[in-house]
Amino acid sequence: MTARSRTAGRQRPQRHFPLQVLLGFLVVYFLVPFWWVIVNSSKDAPGLFGGGNTMWFADRIDYVENLTRLFTYDGGIYGRWILNSTLYALAGGVGATILSVMAGYGFAKYRFAGRRFSFSVMLGALMVPATALVIPTFIMFSGLGLTNTIWAVILPSLLNPFGVYLMHVYARDAVPDEILDAARADGAGEIRTFFRVAFPLMRPAVVTVLLLSAVASWNNYFLPLAMLSDNRLFPVTVGLGVWQGVASANNAGSTSLWSLIILGALVSVIPLVIAFFTLQRHWRGGLSVGGLR
Amino acid sequence: MKRKSLITAAALLAAAGAIAACSPDQGKSTANAGGNDASSCTNTIPKKQLPVVTMWGWYPNTQLVVDNFNKQSNEVQVCWTNVGQGGDEYDKFQTAISAGTGAPDVIMIEADRIPTFQIQKALVDIKNYGFDAVKANYSDGAWKDVSIGGAVYGVPVDGGPMAMIYRKDIFDKYKITPPKTWAEYEQAAQKVKDAGGPLFGDLGANVPAVMMALQIQKGATPYAYDPAQPESIGIALNDQASKDVLDYWGNLARKGLVGTQDQFTPEYISGVINGKYATYISAAWAPGYLTGAGVGKGEDTGKFAVAPLPQWDSANPMQVNWGGSAFSVTSQAKNPELAAKVAYGLYADDESLTDGWTNQIIFPLNLKALNDPKFVDLKVSFFDGQQANKEVYVPAANAYTGMTYSPFGQYYFDSMTKQIGAVIDGSITGAQAADRIQEDVANYAKEQGFTVQ
Amino acid sequence: MTLLIEESAASTQKKAHKVRGKVRLREHLMGWLFVGPFGIVFLALLIAPLAYALYLSLWQKKLIGGTNFVFLGNYVKAFTDPTFLSGVWFVVRFSLVAIPLQIVIALAMALIVDAVTSLFTRFSRLMIFLPYAIPTVIGAVMWGFLYSKSFGPLTDIFGLFGATAPDFFSKNLIFYGLINVVTWQWAGYYMIILYAALQGIDPSLYEAARMDGAGKWQIALRIKIPLIAPALLLILVFSLIGTLQFFNEPQILRYLAAGTIAPGFTPNMYAYQQAFALANFNYGSAISFALGGVVFVCVYAFLFFTRKRRSFL
Repeated sequence: MTARSRTAGRQRPQRHFPLQVLLGFLVVYFLVPFWWVIVNSSKDAPGLFGGGNTMWFADRIDYVENLTRLFTYDGGIYGRWILNSTLYALAGGVGATILSVMAGYGFAKYRFAGRRFSFSVMLGALMVPATALVIPTFIMFSGLGLTNTIWAVILPSLLNPFGVYLMHVYARDAVPDEILDAARADGAGEIRTFFRVAFPLMRPAVVTVLLLSAVASWNNYFLPLAMLSDNRLFPVTVGLGVWQGVASANNAGSTSLWSLIILGALVSVIPLVIAFFTLQRHWRGGLSVGGLR
Repeated sequence: MKRKSLITAAALLAAAGAIAACSPDQGKSTANAGGNDASSCTNTIPKKQLPVVTMWGWYPNTQLVVDNFNKQSNEVQVCWTNVGQGGDEYDKFQTAISAGTGAPDVIMIEADRIPTFQIQKALVDIKNYGFDAVKANYSDGAWKDVSIGGAVYGVPVDGGPMAMIYRKDIFDKYKITPPKTWAEYEQAAQKVKDAGGPLFGDLGANVPAVMMALQIQKGATPYAYDPAQPESIGIALNDQASKDVLDYWGNLARKGLVGTQDQFTPEYISGVINGKYATYISAAWAPGYLTGAGVGKGEDTGKFAVAPLPQWDSANPMQVNWGGSAFSVTSQAKNPELAAKVAYGLYADDESLTDGWTNQIIFPLNLKALNDPKFVDLKVSFFDGQQANKEVYVPAANAYTGMTYSPFGQYYFDSMTKQIGAVIDGSITGAQAADRIQEDVANYAKEQGFTVQ
Repeated sequence: MTLLIEESAASTQKKAHKVRGKVRLREHLMGWLFVGPFGIVFLALLIAPLAYALYLSLWQKKLIGGTNFVFLGNYVKAFTDPTFLSGVWFVVRFSLVAIPLQIVIALAMALIVDAVTSLFTRFSRLMIFLPYAIPTVIGAVMWGFLYSKSFGPLTDIFGLFGATAPDFFSKNLIFYGLINVVTWQWAGYYMIILYAALQGIDPSLYEAARMDGAGKWQIALRIKIPLIAPALLLILVFSLIGTLQFFNEPQILRYLAAGTIAPGFTPNMYAYQQAFALANFNYGSAISFALGGVVFVCVYAFLFFTRKRRSFL
């Protein structure tokens, strides 16, 4: 209750202290795995397996050596995986966003024949197990000679019905018809109106959809797992999964991969964490509208 | 405002394009990469003018093996990719078979998987591509494991004669000697437990191949399969021997004498390092694996030794095998004859073999190495200088007579893993597990069109 | 989903009278021009594969005897296949526990960070959201290590209380082990969506309620939660769809607990095993389709249920 007197002068009263403690516990829960990974990626194999405190550093802190091993193992394959993931996330994210913005705007602002039908079909597609598509897509792509190429990963990630839905809702609410009509009255064509008037208004949602699509591509596992067999095309998720398989299977031989897997997991999350935190101001706006209406 | 966003979007696109362009395998050139396309090798090909054969493999020293081959060959060069180990590679290969494209020319597979792929016509009989020249380099047993009927579907590289690795410090502390029979194994386990010692061994659900080998050791013959009549197969997975062995391990687990940890996991390795298990029933390649995982170093140095696999009937000892691989030529090979040259020649030169056995990555089946006194007399540092090959592994390998595997190895092992899991959690007995595996696999076989005997 | 469609339809009707016949053709054209590119991708990468999968699922491939047309035979087999049924039962049970748990935690956190603006809550908001930036596969790898008795923290933590650490890889506890992984992974994401929705509420509503003598709790329960009900509904539907398709986490944890997590642990894993490990694309497709049917039924049942009760939210 001392907290009461201390914060009495503030606008927000003391009652939130227990809430903040509760929140504190939750934060600890959400951070524990990160802490474990940070600590244990500094250890070598004996340090990892040989007992000792699991939540604190061993005597030998070996980030430099582990990092060197991570980026040189198997000809520096890990660095390639990170680059691949970046490529897939950027290409898939940007492509999906362009398609979603256009389609969302089209659905929201034009009453064309088949609009209602195609919109409901698209919403129904949200329910299709994304993984269910992997099997037939694989067979189709292998017929086209596309399996085991970067396109096998990028093309399917262009499809983002949720992005279309989000853009549709946002365009409907944030782009008033009156402004569009005014632009048209001024003699601007439809395309020009879209780029000059509508697009700037839709910007927060564009950032949101871009981030969500990029994250979806970055996180993709099942699809590239099935599509790719050349390990130099793997995204980092599949690569680490394969390492875990190698480390778990017999015969793995002379190198212990476990410390590389832990450090690899840590390094792989850094780009996304940075992207999220630097961009968070820009993209929450898009979500609020998408969620509310 | 609008211009800025457009520029941003354009820049992102450009960046994406740039990265795509930077990667050496861009766009169409990667079609069928990893499989038949030579552009995606992990190794560098020294003699660029020669034809190239693609190969998948996961030996830890494959890089060296491939380089040695490429250096010596004036006919063909090998382009190697590691697409994953064991199951991961088989899934990829299986997928490539279904797709009709994407498989390599030569593939490393464990002998027990050969019928699985052969029945899908995914492998090439290499008997007419130079078999006679190398026939004498391997024992008849080794050839048997890679042959179906009169046809040869692989070139043996390494084997996995089984033995019992144990910790000398634990055995000394509890005053026990290496058990010679499985009855003694259980007694010793009980003795250690009563004295408050660690677990004696481990029953891992994820190593069904071990269970299969141990069942065969007691006299089980899981499959009877004659490739002359490919539609008919004999399946006997719940005969008395199979039931007995599953029950034996189930009982050890229930009594708390052995652990039930999946093997090769960090948890298990950590247990081995920290002396949680007194013995490890495994194969000749295990020391290399354990060394790599950090076992036998530091405080653990010299604590391990190896003894022959315990027997059911010491008057009639039976030796079995776990793992070991071969190089096979796939039916997607562009030039099977050239691919066969690679399969026969890879990992068959002295330098590669010596590197393999010195680092205990492989237990060589090539008689050049197997009969090499240096190999036989090797004082294995992992076993504190014990002459493990001479004392244990070579006699075990020589007494091994080969097995008959099934054309649906993947399904069989999956089923076994599931039922061992059920034995471990105590919901069924070993005998019940054997019955379920039999029913499951027999049903699958019928469904796949086989006549089950 | 029907709710959403109807809402969007209503908004179109409002401006319907504005449209003149002359402009109609142009409007059709422009509409399709904007929707077209997505439509092409949609047809090529969703409708076509689905149709193909449907076609494949009507055939049966055998190792001996080749491929035969079996019509609905694979579906009959799937719905009598104990492995598939137990997989479905698992994901349904899992959804029933995991989703409410995630939503309750997410809602509680969202309400707290919405009501209390301090440096700490802002920091917490970021930290709680952090796991969403982690690929599910990597998250599963991390928890796989944390569950280890030898070098995870569980032994130490439970040791403090003199207890033995639970083995989350055992058959009895794997359910909870996975619940924990998905909660950790997704609760922060749902929290952000709900928080964004809460921030969208007009603050004058709170003022009015306070005037009427409503306390903090009452405001939260009577005003905030009903107003973000659409957002709640949205994340409920998405988490339901996602959870029924459970794949990544168990697939990765299989490397550590093969005996507990069999290949047919969830329907999606079963489809993967059939298609890619056993080369049975036909049965794999049928399982995927059957799972799609289950998802469809569950989502519609859920929407039907919530629609009736919507007034209580």
